[in-house]
Amino acid sequence: MAAAIDNMSSQVKKVTEKRKLNEETDKDPGFFDEQYNMKNDANDLSDTSDSEESIFSELDDIEGEESDSGKSVSTDESSLENSEENSKDDDAEEEDLRKEEMKKDNTTIVTNVGSWLDSKNMPEVDEYEEDSSDEEDIRNTVGNIPLEWYNDYPHIGYDWRGRKIVKPATGDELDKFLDKMDNPDYWRTVKDRQTGQSVILSDQDLDIVQQIQAGKYPDVSYNPYEPWVDFFSHDTMVHPVTRQPEHKRSFIPSKIEKEKVSKILHAIKMGWIKPRVPKDETAKFYDLWKDGESSQTAAMERRLKHHIPAPKLMLPGHEESYNPPPEYLLTPDEVEAWENQEPETRKINFIPKKYPHLRSVPAYTRFINDRFERCLDLYLCPRQRKMRVHVRPEDLIPKLPKPRDLQPFPTICSIVYIGHEDFVRCISVEPTGQFFASGSDDRTIRIWEVATGRCLKTLQVEGTVKDISWCPNSNLCLVAAAINSTVVLLNPGTGDKLLANGTDATLKNSLTEGETKDSGAVVWKEVPAEKYDTGFRLTLEFKKEVSKVTWHSKGDYFATVEPQAGDGSVMLHQLSRRRSQNPFRKSKGLVQSVLFHPTRPYLFVATQRYVRVYNLLKQELTKKLLTNCKWVSSIAIHPKGDNVIIGSYDCRLGWFDLDLSTKPYQTLRHHKKAIRQVSYHKRYPLFASASDDGTVIVCHGMVYADLLQNPLIVPVKILRGHKVNKALGVLDCMFHPTQPWLLSAGADHTVRLFT
Amino acid sequence: METDENAVAHIQVKFFTKQQQYAIQDIPYSLPVNVGTTELNELLNGILKADFVETEWKKLNFDFLHNGEFLRTNLTEHIESKGLTTETVLEVEYVEQTPAPRPQDSLKHDDWVSAVKSTPDLILTGCYDNTIHLWTPKGSHLMTIPGHLGPVKAVDWISHDENGGQFVSASHDQTLMIWQWDRQKNSIECAHVCRGHTRSVECVKVDASHTRFASGCWDGMLKIWSTGEDEGGSGEPDDHEQSQKKLKTNQQKSVTRTPLLTLAGHKESLSSIVWTDTGEVCTGSWDHTIRTWDLESGANKLTLPGAKVLLNLSWSPSSHLLLSGSADRHVRLWDVRVPDGTAVKSTYTSHSGWVSCVSWSPNDTNLFISGSYDNLLKLWDVRSTSVPLFNMTGHENKILCCDWSVPDHMISGGADTTVKIFEAAGHSS
Repeated sequence: MAAAIDNMSSQVKKVTEKRKLNEETDKDPGFFDEQYNMKNDANDLSDTSDSEESIFSELDDIEGEESDSGKSVSTDESSLENSEENSKDDDAEEEDLRKEEMKKDNTTIVTNVGSWLDSKNMPEVDEYEEDSSDEEDIRNTVGNIPLEWYNDYPHIGYDWRGRKIVKPATGDELDKFLDKMDNPDYWRTVKDRQTGQSVILSDQDLDIVQQIQAGKYPDVSYNPYEPWVDFFSHDTMVHPVTRQPEHKRSFIPSKIEKEKVSKILHAIKMGWIKPRVPKDETAKFYDLWKDGESSQTAAMERRLKHHIPAPKLMLPGHEESYNPPPEYLLTPDEVEAWENQEPETRKINFIPKKYPHLRSVPAYTRFINDRFERCLDLYLCPRQRKMRVHVRPEDLIPKLPKPRDLQPFPTICSIVYIGHEDFVRCISVEPTGQFFASGSDDRTIRIWEVATGRCLKTLQVEGTVKDISWCPNSNLCLVAAAINSTVVLLNPGTGDKLLANGTDATLKNSLTEGETKDSGAVVWKEVPAEKYDTGFRLTLEFKKEVSKVTWHSKGDYFATVEPQAGDGSVMLHQLSRRRSQNPFRKSKGLVQSVLFHPTRPYLFVATQRYVRVYNLLKQELTKKLLTNCKWVSSIAIHPKGDNVIIGSYDCRLGWFDLDLSTKPYQTLRHHKKAIRQVSYHKRYPLFASASDDGTVIVCHGMVYADLLQNPLIVPVKILRGHKVNKALGVLDCMFHPTQPWLLSAGADHTVRLFT
Repeated sequence: METDENAVAHIQVKFFTKQQQYAIQDIPYSLPVNVGTTELNELLNGILKADFVETEWKKLNFDFLHNGEFLRTNLTEHIESKGLTTETVLEVEYVEQTPAPRPQDSLKHDDWVSAVKSTPDLILTGCYDNTIHLWTPKGSHLMTIPGHLGPVKAVDWISHDENGGQFVSASHDQTLMIWQWDRQKNSIECAHVCRGHTRSVECVKVDASHTRFASGCWDGMLKIWSTGEDEGGSGEPDDHEQSQKKLKTNQQKSVTRTPLLTLAGHKESLSSIVWTDTGEVCTGSWDHTIRTWDLESGANKLTLPGAKVLLNLSWSPSSHLLLSGSADRHVRLWDVRVPDGTAVKSTYTSHSGWVSCVSWSPNDTNLFISGSYDNLLKLWDVRSTSVPLFNMTGHENKILCCDWSVPDHMISGGADTTVKIFEAAGHSS
């Protein structure tokens, strides 16, 4: 219907224009017809009836034309009315088509300009007769062919009656020129190629041409952008636009669609139609930068990814300046020295020089050489990223197992053995672990029951007990104690009665077997009868004070130390023969301690700084251990015999692996004060050190059967309990032979059991 | 105030008891979770008072158990520690509280008391001064028996009646002595001297039939002896011990007895023996193991490894459970019937020293006492592992032995040379 409106407006225009034309000149009404037809052409699909009606009315007009222009006007007006009536019927809903239609009009107009220009020069007479809405051009019926084909003919085509249209006579160049000169309308005269006539364009035509050239609507009066109300917008309306109820059709499902769907469904069910395979959405790219198979690309890639910039040159300093401070200038001596130096060893490879001003600085002669060397450097020295090693301090500490994984070891003080009235100097546990003996400064030796803390026996002696040692032979019940310058052997009478009696018997037998051999230094004596009853059996009298007494593991030999005795400070005694001997001709220093190897015939003699290991069978020095400390206090040997620990008064504890080296395998400095005693456990991998700071430190010392594996030493526990008395703390410590318990003798007059 | 009360969560508690005289109706009570045992006790007494309208209700103290474990804190903490919610119904058992033992008497000795054993009318103690003493529970000293040459480590009754009794003593002098005591004459004679041990005898125990006794030695030997007059002994007068002459009356009759059976197996000192059956002995040792022995075959039936030196064992004939005191702070409850390594059922930790002695209650399967080197005798309930029922103070030195073979008397002896008698008063049997 929009087309109809359009049509109508164009008709209105045409009519008014025609009227004007008729009033002025009757020259070219065909043009308007052309125009009109074109419009009609464009619109006839949408509303044929209207346009036809108007056309026929116009055709009717043509009949009585020429004579009466007013009449035609009136008919025109009637057609106008008709179209106006039609327009009233237009539905609002068709209005939105209007714009599109207008565009269409525009384009048609532009394309057809040539054709209507061609059809300008048609004979005026025939104009209305030949006019038809159906035909493109009714004045020349040759059709849409190139008109050059008629160049050789006198006619130019045929009219609708079949008569030839004769080419009009054309003047020569002179005529043209004259015409140009004389005719004021020459500039607006165009030639209609269809008919060969020349047409003079009217002002209206020119307007239209100008409008078209400007890309506007040909009709000047037409405004395409009239204001209008947009009924249909994207906004959702509350109320319907029309009051009409919705058609019933819209509620009924479409039967045709249903059929179509069921057909497709059936096809799918039968497998005739396969559902579309979903497309693989993942985009496929060719990875240009992926790791190539060849090593060259890998190296290239590495170079690209890990680019190492060239090292920068040193920035020029004062020396390089053209006017250096005087201190940078070389003195003649320095210059001479520089010249004598090898070029590689020179600190700077030029001599700083002073110039009054920059312009007097000469060219640098070594420039090429320098650049070359620099390039050579860059080329020949492969640049590599320096790998920084992150070393945390914790990582440097060796990994040690946690103490709680190394149980059992003594942890708390369970029993305190109270009875002594002065420093308890020494303790020694019976081989089975039921009793132990302690010697004190209060001139007593006490025998205790380990399990209950009961003092079973107290033996009075003549002096302070320096050392005490229970005979390791399980068939003997014998304790050796060093008191002043004597060593007392006593039978405590504990344990098996038979053994105790047997011990007495062997001691008696030893006398009868071999006579007492007086070695000069030591005198073996039987004790008087009244002392015999209390348990004393034998007395060895020395010249000097005895500080140490230690048994061989077999229980027949024991060794004593008299530090002040010089050459005869170490004495070996044989119990069964009551014989003493001095193994060394010459003293090697102040002997601190002696020790028998548990299985082999070795004797360890600890002097202040060294421990010497003697082979008693071969009578030679086997080894000399460098303790690396100032004053050795005590020595203990591992029950397997390959490891020795040495405690010293300068707080150190050294662990020696005899197979490994004569230097300490490990030195422990845990104590704050002098170490008095060190001790190994017979069964458990434990060792302990007793110190003057009142503590005993228990360490886990695992010796592996595998000789390649080094011993594992872990300090596990500091045992506190003893009080420091007169700058003395724990004076002796010894492990229980079977349990992981530790007995310690303190300067606070007590012995403590740590379990 | 009201908002505060509302803020506290409530829990449903259902009370039940195995003591039928105190049974109440099976109704759950909704209680605020922050109540403690005293409030529960109040509540229960209130309920019981309402139930016992016809009879006079005397207020009692109850202990409360949940899942066989004593409530010692308020309900909140208990629920939290057990991971329970207040949604569940808490089934709480209540038992009448064990009355506090009262110290009854203290028997002064001359030396450390290392062994004690009692009958209803006699108390037998062994001392470190080599003597054995006989006391009445009233505290009067009946007799001092010298005879051993070393400290007496263990004593046990073989038989006792109104005319006297027979008992055995073990000593450091490697012998055991069987003594015959006549009440009328108040005379004692050493019936037998049992020789055979090669180290100090640490423990002795007479079996339930009173026909045999077992003794353990420091060297780990277990010997079984006969108590009878004519069995297993080689009648040989004993005269080679010099000190034995002190007891001239005994010496003429005392006959050396040899063991019926010697069982070796323990690597270290045998510290304690219990008879678990007529032909079965269970021993604890310093080598950290508990072994059971079948005396018929003389074989070691079972070895339970422990971690610490065992000092004492006690066997409960009613519950068939074994208690052990060891050289750490713990009392352990063993089930020797369990073959694998989970024999330790629970551990009671409250002592601070070695637990030297343990003893089951003779009539209550849940109670036992333990004595320790920390000078305390503790009364325990099996169901309370961390807190004992009562601490009995009085000893001033290590407790070395304890005995609870008579229901009324808990007896302990120690290194303070005294034997303390505690009366397990008013205990309903």
